[in-house]
Amino acid sequence: MLPELGTFALILAFLLALLQCVAPILVLGFKKNHAFFELSLFGSIGQFIFLSFAMLCLMMSFINNDLTVLYIREHSHQLLPFIYRIGAAWGGHEGSFLLWCLVLSTWTLSFILFAKKSLENTFFYRVLMVLGFLSAGFILFLLVTSNPFARDFPTRPLIGDDLTPLLQDPGLLFHPPILYSGYVGFAIGFAVAIAALMEKKFDALTAKILRPWIVLPWAFLGCGIVLGSWWAYRELGWGGWWFWDPVENASLLPWLIATALLHSLIVSEKRNTFKGWTILLAIITFSLSLIGTFLVRSGVLISVHAFASDPTRGLFLLGYLALIMGGALTLYAFRIKFFYVAPRFQLLSRETFLLLNSVFLLTAMATILLGTLYPIILDALDSDKISVGEPYFNTVFLPIILPLLILMAIAPYVHWGEHRLAYLWKKCGFSLFSSLILGFLIPILLGFQWKLLASIGISIGIWIIISTLQFVLQLWKNHQHLNLKYYSMIIAHLGIAIMTLGITINKSYSEERQVTIATNEIVTLAGYRFSFKDLQKENTKNYQSLLVSFTVQKNKGKSNLLFAEQRVYKSHEQTLSKPGILYNAFRDIYVALGGVTANGAWIVRIYYKPCVRWIWFGGFMLLLGGLITLLNYIWPHKEIEKEINA
Amino acid sequence: MKILKILPLGIFFIIIFFLFKGLNLHPDIIPSPLINKPAPLFALPTLDNPKKIVTNHDFLHHITLLNVWASWCTTCADEHEFLIKLAKNTDIILYGFNYKDDLTNAKKWLAEYGNPYQIIVVDQQGLSAIDWGVYGTPETFLIDQQGIVRYKVIGSLTQEKWDRELWPLIKKIQKERT
Repeated sequence: MLPELGTFALILAFLLALLQCVAPILVLGFKKNHAFFELSLFGSIGQFIFLSFAMLCLMMSFINNDLTVLYIREHSHQLLPFIYRIGAAWGGHEGSFLLWCLVLSTWTLSFILFAKKSLENTFFYRVLMVLGFLSAGFILFLLVTSNPFARDFPTRPLIGDDLTPLLQDPGLLFHPPILYSGYVGFAIGFAVAIAALMEKKFDALTAKILRPWIVLPWAFLGCGIVLGSWWAYRELGWGGWWFWDPVENASLLPWLIATALLHSLIVSEKRNTFKGWTILLAIITFSLSLIGTFLVRSGVLISVHAFASDPTRGLFLLGYLALIMGGALTLYAFRIKFFYVAPRFQLLSRETFLLLNSVFLLTAMATILLGTLYPIILDALDSDKISVGEPYFNTVFLPIILPLLILMAIAPYVHWGEHRLAYLWKKCGFSLFSSLILGFLIPILLGFQWKLLASIGISIGIWIIISTLQFVLQLWKNHQHLNLKYYSMIIAHLGIAIMTLGITINKSYSEERQVTIATNEIVTLAGYRFSFKDLQKENTKNYQSLLVSFTVQKNKGKSNLLFAEQRVYKSHEQTLSKPGILYNAFRDIYVALGGVTANGAWIVRIYYKPCVRWIWFGGFMLLLGGLITLLNYIWPHKEIEKEINA
Repeated sequence: MKILKILPLGIFFIIIFFLFKGLNLHPDIIPSPLINKPAPLFALPTLDNPKKIVTNHDFLHHITLLNVWASWCTTCADEHEFLIKLAKNTDIILYGFNYKDDLTNAKKWLAEYGNPYQIIVVDQQGLSAIDWGVYGTPETFLIDQQGIVRYKVIGSLTQEKWDRELWPLIKKIQKERT
């Protein structure tokens, strides 16, 4: 019964989404009474209720383990623990698309709650119309090609295929919803951009209202990416935190452009310029979200995340995507002339810096997009089947991202309008020199081998930190320390700096070895001594595990225990090997089990990973920075009249 | 300036074009190197009589479908209905290749779902399967009268794949002979 109610709720949600889209058209296009606007509100609120209800039906059916539902049979089993039954609701294609629709509807609802009063009526309902159009198409997609509630009564006994062991991790509960909140949240920015193009109006106030609707999804997406990276590190056992996997790339692409958009939006808000550019970036950001969704959902690429591919799904998604993006960019081409503002800034100015920021981020995005699509392009041209991997991405990404990081160290000191080089030199000269020296010395002092690239990376990271902290000092001196908006920038930039340091040190000084450890044998790596201790067996409800413990000791220090685990899931005897990790703020020791030899020795890969946690910590600082921007809107403070240093 | 207005649209259509082409590609299907080459040499016992050995010789003089399956493979169970239908409605010669299976389970499975195969060879260790390039079940090979591998279906053999890929090829092979 529940699955049928779920399908019914989806059908109602689809109709309500149509209503949300059509009602504003009736008023704006056919001059109907303004009361019709209210119908649009009604549509979006009802849609949220029915989508939530559908999600609840799906979760309940998972909890009841209703195996006549095909989607549940493919992703559940009677032994699956309770919390993963809830997570399994979005553990596969159909359910995760339902989550997609629910998240879109949640964003729409919050936009109604928080932005309706500050926007003009016609502008607001145009936004709602676009969102309704998006939502209707995606719910239709769900119903027609990927209904999670579809029943199937096979003749053979009902046994669930079980959720892939890799997904049976707490990460499943947080990573997809947070990531989707980011991905889908950019729909608001997109809808506002379309409304602006239709109204031929995008003023500083609109930019100000739009800002939290970009910052929040940006922070969610960043957080989702970081959680995903952390999850892959803990589960996959390759000791890596980023694989340039097509699906990882698909999430990074909109994040990069959203970063550019955030900065461009500041210019639109403060200087009432860069309008066309901001609109274009808002469209591109959401387009990349959609292209990412397409890449993941259609199965055109091979990836650890790819779900079963089905050509009709791909075709539907691609068609809809072409309609949305093609329509948006055509409208852009016709309307952009209304947004032209003559530039009023000099070459050396904050505007130029923020423009450069866009250019570098856009270039970075384009190179990653090219690398991600290259296998498809070659295959489509019948040339070859290839895969593009780390060597390409590392080579092209580095030269683009380094100058961007350098800009970051200087940017806080550059003024709007115009600026003099001598002043910048005075402000940044000291921090530049000290960080160059520190970058040179730190690897040597820590006992690492000296490497040029490592020194450059460390110098840049430290430069951003020193320069940003100097900026904080300056704020305090000028009694501007209560102005929250600077702190979001400061924390986010510090986060990037810490990430840079983490990535540099991790890439330059990680060590790994594949060894066979027999009892009483000692293996060393990076000054740590490893020995095999013992085996323990453990039995839980849905898997049996073998805990292999190792002692790890540095020099004459305290010896620590580390547990690597091998699980056999009872449902289909799938095995999963979970690496053992010993961590502190400065390094991880990581042991992945390979197998056991005939005489009881373990084949293992051991890794020494310095500063790997800094990467994720930096990522969470970005989230924090984003959330602080919101405080600006929640606690409106007295605008500090004078711009800094003005 | 005019070009800048339509540049995003242009780039977008190029991307869409390649994504569209990409839809009809199958990145997970790596072409089998065996196509148009003689079937790998093998000698395997049959399921009902371990003493009877089947070799490449048994492929000669007729078109054969060789279906790799196992009782532990749930997709094979889905595919099975179609294979039964195929055996009933056509005179195609269908051999089974039982892959890394428990023999009692395999026999029980056939008793339950029906047996479409004329001969079933057993590869319990999965060593011969390596020569055949089997990387999952089910897989189906089409072998012609000269014992040459002509086609390989990865995953479930369905009516759609049969109509679109296999049947036209079988007709073509039959014509080649006459």
